[in-house]
Amino acid sequence: MDSAATPLAQAVDASASAWQPHIIAFVCHWCTYAGADMAGTTRRIYPPNVRILRFPCTGRMSPLFILRAFEQGADGVLVSGCHPGDCHYVQGNYFARRRFAVFRALLEFLGVDPRRLQFSWVSASEGVKWARVVEEVTQGVRDAGPISPWGRVQDHGRLALVRFASPADQAGRRPGEDERAPVLAELRRAASELLSSGRISRLIGYGESSLPGKIVPVFLDNVADASVLAWTDGCSANLAAYLPAAMRSGKVGIIVKSCDSKAVVGLLQENQIRREDVVLIGVPCTGVRVNGRLASKCFNCDGQVSPLCDLSAGGARPAAAAMGVQVAVPPDVRDADVGYIESLPLLDRWNFWQNQFARCLRCYACRAVCPLCYCETCIAEKHRPQWISTSIDGKGNTAWNVVRAFHLAGRCIGCDECSRVCPANIRLDLLNRRLAIEVERRFGYRAGQDAVASPPLASFRQDDSEEFIR
Amino acid sequence: MARIGVFVCHCGENIARTVRVGDVAQFARRIPHVAFSTDYAYLCSSPGQKILVDAVKEHGLTGVVVAACSPQLHEPTFRRATIQAGLNPYLCEIANIREHCSWVHHDPAMATPKACHLVVSAVERVRHARPLEPIKVPVTKRALVIGGGVAGIRTALDIANAGHPVVLVEKQPSLGGNMARLSETFPTLDCSQCILTPLMVEVARHPNIELLTYSEVEEVSGYVGNFKVRIRKKPRFVREGVCTACNACAKVCPVDVPNEFDMNLSWRKAIYIPFPQAVPSTYTLDAARCVNSTLESKSGYRVLACERCASDCNVKAIDFDMKPEIVEREVGAIVVATGYRLLLGEQAEECGYGKFPDVVDGLEFERMLSASGPTGGEVRRPSDGKVPKDVVFIQCVGSRDPRHGVPYCSRVCCMFTAKHALLFKHKVHDARAYVFYMDIRAGGKGYEEFVQRVMEEERVLYIRGRVSRVLSRNGKLIVFGADTLSGQQVELKADLVVLAAASIPSSNGDLASKLRIPADAHGFFQEAHPKLRPVETLTAGIYLAGAAHAPKDIPDTVAQASAAAAKGMELFSKPMLCREPITSQVNEAACSGCFECQRVCAYGAIERKEIRDRKGELVRVVARVNQAMCEGCGVCTAACRSGSIELCGFTDDQVFAQLGALGPLPAAAAR
Repeated sequence: MDSAATPLAQAVDASASAWQPHIIAFVCHWCTYAGADMAGTTRRIYPPNVRILRFPCTGRMSPLFILRAFEQGADGVLVSGCHPGDCHYVQGNYFARRRFAVFRALLEFLGVDPRRLQFSWVSASEGVKWARVVEEVTQGVRDAGPISPWGRVQDHGRLALVRFASPADQAGRRPGEDERAPVLAELRRAASELLSSGRISRLIGYGESSLPGKIVPVFLDNVADASVLAWTDGCSANLAAYLPAAMRSGKVGIIVKSCDSKAVVGLLQENQIRREDVVLIGVPCTGVRVNGRLASKCFNCDGQVSPLCDLSAGGARPAAAAMGVQVAVPPDVRDADVGYIESLPLLDRWNFWQNQFARCLRCYACRAVCPLCYCETCIAEKHRPQWISTSIDGKGNTAWNVVRAFHLAGRCIGCDECSRVCPANIRLDLLNRRLAIEVERRFGYRAGQDAVASPPLASFRQDDSEEFIR
Repeated sequence: MARIGVFVCHCGENIARTVRVGDVAQFARRIPHVAFSTDYAYLCSSPGQKILVDAVKEHGLTGVVVAACSPQLHEPTFRRATIQAGLNPYLCEIANIREHCSWVHHDPAMATPKACHLVVSAVERVRHARPLEPIKVPVTKRALVIGGGVAGIRTALDIANAGHPVVLVEKQPSLGGNMARLSETFPTLDCSQCILTPLMVEVARHPNIELLTYSEVEEVSGYVGNFKVRIRKKPRFVREGVCTACNACAKVCPVDVPNEFDMNLSWRKAIYIPFPQAVPSTYTLDAARCVNSTLESKSGYRVLACERCASDCNVKAIDFDMKPEIVEREVGAIVVATGYRLLLGEQAEECGYGKFPDVVDGLEFERMLSASGPTGGEVRRPSDGKVPKDVVFIQCVGSRDPRHGVPYCSRVCCMFTAKHALLFKHKVHDARAYVFYMDIRAGGKGYEEFVQRVMEEERVLYIRGRVSRVLSRNGKLIVFGADTLSGQQVELKADLVVLAAASIPSSNGDLASKLRIPADAHGFFQEAHPKLRPVETLTAGIYLAGAAHAPKDIPDTVAQASAAAAKGMELFSKPMLCREPITSQVNEAACSGCFECQRVCAYGAIERKEIRDRKGELVRVVARVNQAMCEGCGVCTAACRSGSIELCGFTDDQVFAQLGALGPLPAAAAR
């Protein structure tokens, strides 16, 4: 067939001469779809750049659909649903509002122009509003210009601009070696006791590896092995990552630092472990070292044994706060880096992250080490449909890192294991931290605090802020 | 291998004017998996549907895309045609190229590619669709009618006469609504109460109607055919059925309260009946006004300061211990007939309303005219009880005024003002009546003739123009206005000013939220389609009647009420309802059992399923969807991190395929 005769071929000619914004709209069947019908019935003329995809509810729209739309070359995405209180399914739009608030923050942090991702509430009777929203969104996307190819660095020269201030190594507490010996003795004693009494059939702890000074996780089944246990400032691994699998073979004891115990809270919250089947041995922690430096997560951590723990190894240190002493909590040093990235222009942000993601090997070490990445089948391995391209290219790597970060929003407890194990040194900790800040600021929620709390993305408040919605 | 057929409709000129339909059909042929495409003037016509049916058979199509108007209109039509062709109806997809394309764009060079895009997206959706079987559910053959005005009464009677039980809920102590307040009705001038009260009595005596007055709908759950309703019955402290309405209690009651039924122009007691013909004929003790103001105290500790009503009641009908009662009913259909009230806002204030007692609104004047009103039908002005000689009627007070009132026309004011002027002239023979109007809108049977009669026979002076303000001087009201026909300023002395205030819906947004039906910017409930489905809402099984939908006169209200009843009866005529099979399904193998889906489900449709090995040992716990309870919103699917829940009809596969097809234009053209 002669391709020149097709309307699309003609349209291509037109688009070659003048770029037209390409916008995908995810709309709710009950409100905005009918509102757009109303705009048609009343012949409200609006720009022809929006392509509508109909959903039963905004709650059905996975934010990851937005990612796919951008991957497929959309210059902008509009999400539109029912006004708060009007949801046909009672509360779907409230959940959607939370999910999109977080996802939007993530994309903006990655350097996506916020004009490209917009939200509105348009009811079935608001044909006029729909026409106006399309006009405004189209104009916004037009101003933002054609989207840069997804998953590619734009201007390599500008990468040099990104320079993190290195965290002040001297600041904060230093690991106190003198405190460690009694703790280790206590750990070994507790381990022998638990294993010999049969209270647990396996203990997860830290041990020396064959490399000098290198600490690895160890799984002890026999009392005799208790001497293998180690406790040094190299014990950074979050052992909670091994917990769900280990628990399939009986009751398990586990050595947890302050940060690890938050992960245990997350696992309890999400029904991955049964509290009665695990014995938590808390260790008072003075901080761990990563690459010879005090880990960022340790700066504002008091290292206290969590009240959740069944046993405490030498942790007779009452919390300063419990004694009525005001302790100034040093700021999270990761916040400085997050703030620095946010201070960069969008393009620099985009380039920085694309450069980071370009290094990703898709080894999934970040996933393997994360205590909250416990899914039977990770979405990265899902086919039909394939959510995340398995290719090690810009698109696939960006998709994986965005999905990973979004799936941990409101759940990540900030142990930074992902960035520690990343062989490509991708700053995954900053992505996680940015979303943790967003979740705390918006929903007043901090992950890993309360095992019976409802996760922030699985709950809502009717008055959640919606400043980003038209 | 999918073989999809694409059918592009011209809709006469509606689509073809801006979308080059032939090009769209030609384009469709180039989409992979499309085996056939064509265009036709009116696909919804029978020859149009025949083209579809024949093509499916002839070309062995496995799916159908119809590019036409909104699926809200003809999706059922084309789904039926698809069934006729031997395909599953869920393998038919509509590409909305009229409402979403040809009607909202001018330029064919832009609208045509957009239409192509919508078609290719729909093709992808069908290609990845799975055949679905409708879920059959039983219908509860009982209706709930909310509102006991003339609309609610008519609906309830129609449904009840057809043999189905009806629950009629009214907020006030009596049925009747605003119509009971009216004196005469235009244009025939029959007495409003004389035609309404027989219906009210019929409702009360009807064996199929359960009348719940002084009650409000508190919660509605469920879906078409199977709603569950919680109704709060406020305590009236007088036992219904025992009270004989002898008025002995009111005679001794020491508290005087303005009577709302008479628009506060008269007084009633704290124990009262709104009007003599009230239904039910039971007195109500207004707990907020009774001397024993702590009647509803929760502590249970109460001292009665006054028991005069109870001691004077011969039948001992008064019960101070009455508590609010929650009534739960299962119904299959709901009719919303909550009516209207008047907007007395900025405009009314400019006309002196609230400042001068002799400026009254339309409903107040109705009571002043009514034989059962506070003056027994004699027109006497509220300030000094004198018979007014000069009365100025002002129309469009708040209506047709987007800046200070509402933008719409309240539809009944032209007519009731003419009626008011006529009735007033009949009652006060030497009086003069003036009407300020913007336009006369008398579009109804016998309406124009009525207005002409008022102008010509009754010699009511109609002045075209608006009133700027009303002042009071020497016991007279001075009305300043403009006569836009003569271009002169007008200053009239009046004894009484009657405002035709705008009608606004009486329900606040609360009921819309409870019922999950949309309302427009003014709070009027939204119909499913302005022409074709004027009594239905977008929520199946919920219908509209009367002024809750838009301002309406009595004939239109009654017509719509009967229509809503007919819609309910249509629902009840089937033994089983077919529900859309749009429900969620869990892939148990991939589920990690975090139960985030359970947390977000509003319907409690997610259950825990234990997976055990051969020895009976618990291996893991996964989520399972109870198909009967799932409403198909899909909130769970987006909550599932591993993508282990699918919503049938809106699968991830379909969405991704659509997004893939909706790449920017050059990529799509490269196919």
